[in-house]
Amino acid sequence: MSQIQERGSTHVYKVNKISKEEMDAMTARCVYEQPSFCSAACPLKLDVRAFMQAAAGGDFKKALQLYEKVAPFPLALASACEAPCEGKCRLGEIGDAVSIRAVESAVARFGEGSKLGGVFRMKKRKTVAILGADLLTLFLAGELEKKAYPVTVFCEQADLESYLRACAPFLSDALFPLEYKRLQEKDIQFEFDRRPDAALYEEIKARFDVRCASMDAARALFPAAAPVQELMFLEEEKLVCGESAGVLDKAFGAKKAALTVDRLAQNLDPRNMRGSEGACESRLYTDLSEAKSLRRVPCGEEGYTKEEAVREAGRCISCHCEECLKSCAYLKHYKKHPGLLSREIYNNTQIIMGDHPLNKAMNACSLCGQCSVVCPNGFDMARVCAAARRNMVSTDKMPLAPHEFALMDMLFSNNEAFLSRPQPGFETCRYVFFPGCQAAAIAPATVKAAYLDLCARLEGGVALILGCCGAIADWAGREEMEEQVRAQLDRELAKLGDPVVIAGCPSCAKELRAFSGREVRGIWDVLLELGLPAGARALERPAALHDSCGARGDEATQRAIRALAAQLGCTLTDTPYSGDRSPCCGYGGLTAYANREVAAELTDKCLERSDAPYLSYCMACRDRFARQGRESRHILELCYGTDAGSPPDISEKRWNRLSLKNELLQELWLEEPMEKKRDYQLLWTEEGRAMMDERMILADDVIAVMDAFRENGEAIEDEDGLLVARRRVGNATFWVKFRIEGEDAYRICRAWSHRMNVVKREG
Amino acid sequence: MAIEKNYYTIDPQGRLKCFKCGVALVKGKAKFMYLDNGFPVELPVCPVCGFVYVPEELALGKVASVERALEDK
Repeated sequence: MSQIQERGSTHVYKVNKISKEEMDAMTARCVYEQPSFCSAACPLKLDVRAFMQAAAGGDFKKALQLYEKVAPFPLALASACEAPCEGKCRLGEIGDAVSIRAVESAVARFGEGSKLGGVFRMKKRKTVAILGADLLTLFLAGELEKKAYPVTVFCEQADLESYLRACAPFLSDALFPLEYKRLQEKDIQFEFDRRPDAALYEEIKARFDVRCASMDAARALFPAAAPVQELMFLEEEKLVCGESAGVLDKAFGAKKAALTVDRLAQNLDPRNMRGSEGACESRLYTDLSEAKSLRRVPCGEEGYTKEEAVREAGRCISCHCEECLKSCAYLKHYKKHPGLLSREIYNNTQIIMGDHPLNKAMNACSLCGQCSVVCPNGFDMARVCAAARRNMVSTDKMPLAPHEFALMDMLFSNNEAFLSRPQPGFETCRYVFFPGCQAAAIAPATVKAAYLDLCARLEGGVALILGCCGAIADWAGREEMEEQVRAQLDRELAKLGDPVVIAGCPSCAKELRAFSGREVRGIWDVLLELGLPAGARALERPAALHDSCGARGDEATQRAIRALAAQLGCTLTDTPYSGDRSPCCGYGGLTAYANREVAAELTDKCLERSDAPYLSYCMACRDRFARQGRESRHILELCYGTDAGSPPDISEKRWNRLSLKNELLQELWLEEPMEKKRDYQLLWTEEGRAMMDERMILADDVIAVMDAFRENGEAIEDEDGLLVARRRVGNATFWVKFRIEGEDAYRICRAWSHRMNVVKREG
Repeated sequence: MAIEKNYYTIDPQGRLKCFKCGVALVKGKAKFMYLDNGFPVELPVCPVCGFVYVPEELALGKVASVERALEDK
């Protein structure tokens, strides 16, 4: 059998660039990083999820710190904020929205404020003056103090108390002292009894670097003042001021004004580098099906008590889109949302020198496409990982090791175990049965029964092709090998008279349909038309039907399988994630070869849906479920009354394919198969056999080593009298530890391998 | 003369024998090569025929981890 060329070197300094646009198009669909709807509605961009989480946990200090980031005077804002966030709360669609403002107010009352505003903090050198007394300039003073500007407020009022009353007249008697204390603690200078007039304006122009004013004060000085609202800036006077409507708008105006002050203080144009300001739309998706607490905690006139606020905050469902993470064991394993994981995998392909840390993650995706169905925006991780694999192969940076076994298996299926024959008595056929490589490997008797049945009941001749459809090369990102398989199958199909393909596996059907341009039907469709063969039998217990990922988006196949199961008399139990939402069994995408841990988690995810026996229509699914100890049957086993029994190991899978081919060649086509005869006997210890399966060492590899030993006699003898022989086969060296038993018999005790080549060094 | 670095050393201490030559293996110079990278080591070697022995623990331990590291380069 031909071998696959290992890449020559790790010193490859080229990459196949993926454009940024292509990358952005890939990642833009993931909405995990979108703000929650409430935060998006808030022009101040309060992180409501984090705030509510802190409040719900009783950590009012942290909650207040988060709130103070957007509101230097939290009580003033929380008392009168118009709270557009509450209108966007998703709970409002099925019950009461969370009373965000009331919780904010409670946090502002009970929380311990930040200690940042001390007089010892290093101040900026540029000074700012604020003229007038209104809520916007109060907020602005707070914002600028937070940014460590030396701020001086010039107001008509005689003292601090009357200043605060003028700014926030709506503060209740209970709240006023609290906010007054907060104002006192801030490092803001005041000059009282200063009416905003031309003389004062000239004075502050001389004394301060940046000037701000309330809109009333600005109008008193410049009656025709028309500031640019987006910047809160009267350009001709270089005066920071602007109009504002409600309380929240004043807080937002203060934020915009503070940014303008920042730019002016650095002698920069206030138009530039402003980032995104104000409220925005969120594309987030929220699953409301699990929301429990729909009724708001009643709020008295005095606002929530601490306990009530904790309870109300606890109602927040912290809107996050985790649909894919909930359903996909692969994404769950890497604990990353697909937007982030895709970016990391993209970066992995673009590394010119050094380690590629995301190789394993890139190769662990089962390419099953479940995410594209469960994601409300259709994010397709399979597209990202498949493209990344092809990209790495194209630059010779893709390691062969994770996929070599599977690719060699594909070559085996399409060489030694390959069979393509018209039905005996026909030169060309109307149909060809293509059961798929896994069916022949796992359930050869079922394949034989199905073929004989199709030959007997269909008119026009049924040819047979035993081989691989090329999906394995596709999954490995090896386009060249995939092309070779396609060309081989195209040639064979043409020789057979371009028959209609009857596929035994939904993945093969998909692959063959995609490239051959020929009509491809599932054997399930044919059996529905012909009726069940004699000997068909149902499962005695109700079974969970596992939909194959090869049939995702193929409603006709999913329906046909259910109809066939009904004809068989099977009772099917409902499972979550069925139909198009079905998870992968762990075989798809070569996960089982590249990352066994993730593959096992994928299998577990499938099996956690039901305790019933599993019925599937893909042989790989049947095999993986059975290996995990679950009673597992393929629907064709039921149709033909066969039982493939306990799952074969990797060597038996090859032997099954070869035996099926030879058996059919002898019985149907009366050809003598080319069987290699060994002139010695191999005996296996149970431990050795299990070890080989675990280490992906085939019986053929062991035979190759023993052939070499018999030829050259080279081996090591250890202290226990056991011999160890070795042979380099393809890209690996295989070692076999054995005992000689009699003249021509060897008992295999252990086997191991490595890919590195070892040679003797001179000197 | 510069001292040659060895990444790994196993001394068979007379416990292993070459089945073909009938002599005890000795600590000898060998080299692992993979993907255009080479690593000088000292392994049990037959002084007559030059058979280099890679024990199971070494193959599954150090060798496997270096293989994985190089594959991801």
